[in-house]
Amino acid sequence: MTSELPPGLALQKVDERIMTLNVGPQHPGSGHMRIVVQIDGDYIVACDPDPGYVHRGEEKMAEYRNYILNIPHLERPVIHDSCNVLYPYVLGVEEIVGIEVPERAKYVRVIASELNRCIYTMYWLAIYGIFLGHSTMFMWPAGDRELLIDLMEKMTGARVTHAHFVPGGVRNDLPPNFEDVCLRQVNYFEKRIKEYAAVFYDNPILISRTRDTGVLSRQDAIRLGTTGSVLRASGVDYDLRIKEPYDVYDELDVHTNVMTEGDSYARSRVPWLDMIESCNIIRQALQKMPKSGSVRTKLKPNPKGKGLDSVYKRVESGRGSLGCYIVSDGKTEPYRLKMSVGSFRNLIALPYLLKGEKLGNMPSVYWSLNYWPVEADR
Amino acid sequence: MGTATGIIRALNSGIKHLAIKRFTLRYPEEKLKFVGDGYQFDPSTGVGIAGLKGRHMLFHDHCTGCQLCSIACEGVAEAIAMVKVPEEQKQNKKSIMPQIDYGKCVFCGLCVDACPFYALYMTNDYELSSFSKEGLIYTPAQLAVKPYVAQDSEIQITDRGASHG
Repeated sequence: MTSELPPGLALQKVDERIMTLNVGPQHPGSGHMRIVVQIDGDYIVACDPDPGYVHRGEEKMAEYRNYILNIPHLERPVIHDSCNVLYPYVLGVEEIVGIEVPERAKYVRVIASELNRCIYTMYWLAIYGIFLGHSTMFMWPAGDRELLIDLMEKMTGARVTHAHFVPGGVRNDLPPNFEDVCLRQVNYFEKRIKEYAAVFYDNPILISRTRDTGVLSRQDAIRLGTTGSVLRASGVDYDLRIKEPYDVYDELDVHTNVMTEGDSYARSRVPWLDMIESCNIIRQALQKMPKSGSVRTKLKPNPKGKGLDSVYKRVESGRGSLGCYIVSDGKTEPYRLKMSVGSFRNLIALPYLLKGEKLGNMPSVYWSLNYWPVEADR
Repeated sequence: MGTATGIIRALNSGIKHLAIKRFTLRYPEEKLKFVGDGYQFDPSTGVGIAGLKGRHMLFHDHCTGCQLCSIACEGVAEAIAMVKVPEEQKQNKKSIMPQIDYGKCVFCGLCVDACPFYALYMTNDYELSSFSKEGLIYTPAQLAVKPYVAQDSEIQITDRGASHG
């Protein structure tokens, strides 16, 4: 019977023990997506993630706007990580238009993207805390995040959606006395996040809930094509800041944090360790940054490509590798723009991880994938 | 480390917070201080000046009615419309100036980057709420007024923790 059906369709055996449960899209524990789980008692037998509720057509929109006017809407997928979302696009347009970036602007970009990575990760961590019922871990990151948001606000003039990066550099120079304020607040921030160890990461209650749940082996992590902290938590040392350094990352001393367990606990711990590493990068960049100089190469108001051309650039965002493929046909608008985002790559691991888990472990496994629904839908 | 020790350590870490200062900003009694007078742009160098991207400010004696801000906004938010103004400026032959709808504006500041005549800046004013949609539409006359802002609170870091002082 099954062999006569067209490909992709299959008859499902009805089992009265199995119940289908829709988690989302209105459920606070799912974000802007639906997870269809089939449960047998308390155990998940199958899971079908259903993203697409916040699809905005960013890629199509980009074909109708010129290279500068694409900036505000392309950072909307992840407003907390807007500098990193914009980074590959800006690097790609620089190659298409053919402009050089001043040295100081490269350092400013690295500082901005590292601050943004921390801001995003703190938001993610706050939600991870409240998913596990740990309200302290919701309040602390949400409050300490303010230290870095204040820095971004001084730097770019906006708390989220900064629209700070442009092809050719950044839009404005750092305000006076920024280096001192940044160093002071980043040092205090690092001291604060190290305190999370006692209350959260070394907490036996958290460990007993997340250890050995949703284990993703090293082979599966590579086979499924996961990226970012999910890949590093499974024992693969892969970070684009080291493997394919962009801007000035090759001049900075960047370390990656790798854990081999591959469970929810490791996946939640790696982003936290990455934040401490980000603080180190910011301090190095502040030290090595040229003290004066231009931050933006002047660009024509309506920049054009140099004919038929395509470029693919990728950066390490808060959720993993984030790529942007731009095809130019010599006009002022891109002919095609494709974003390859880390969230969507990590989501594919969810059905594998949830099979055989208890339903109560679903939120911790799901959110430990470092998944941002709006980014996956684009 | 045993389970009991771990839980006590976690509780202890929270109790320490009773001694440190409260970080919360008591808005609206206190308001955050920003650097500068808002985001500005220097067309001669092509680089902006850091500041908050808040409500715009329009200098009537500089605006030529060239519509570049409106064209820049078309691809972003379509918030800027060019409207007739009663006054006559000698550099503004058509007597048109931008009118900004803050129900649509996303505060990206690309209109400020587009202005070649130093006519459009942004200010530190971010409290723009209104009871009607019409109240969010700022006419050129309203945009010319420099906002009054009382913002003085900054993040202070001491040994007892960070606070908004």
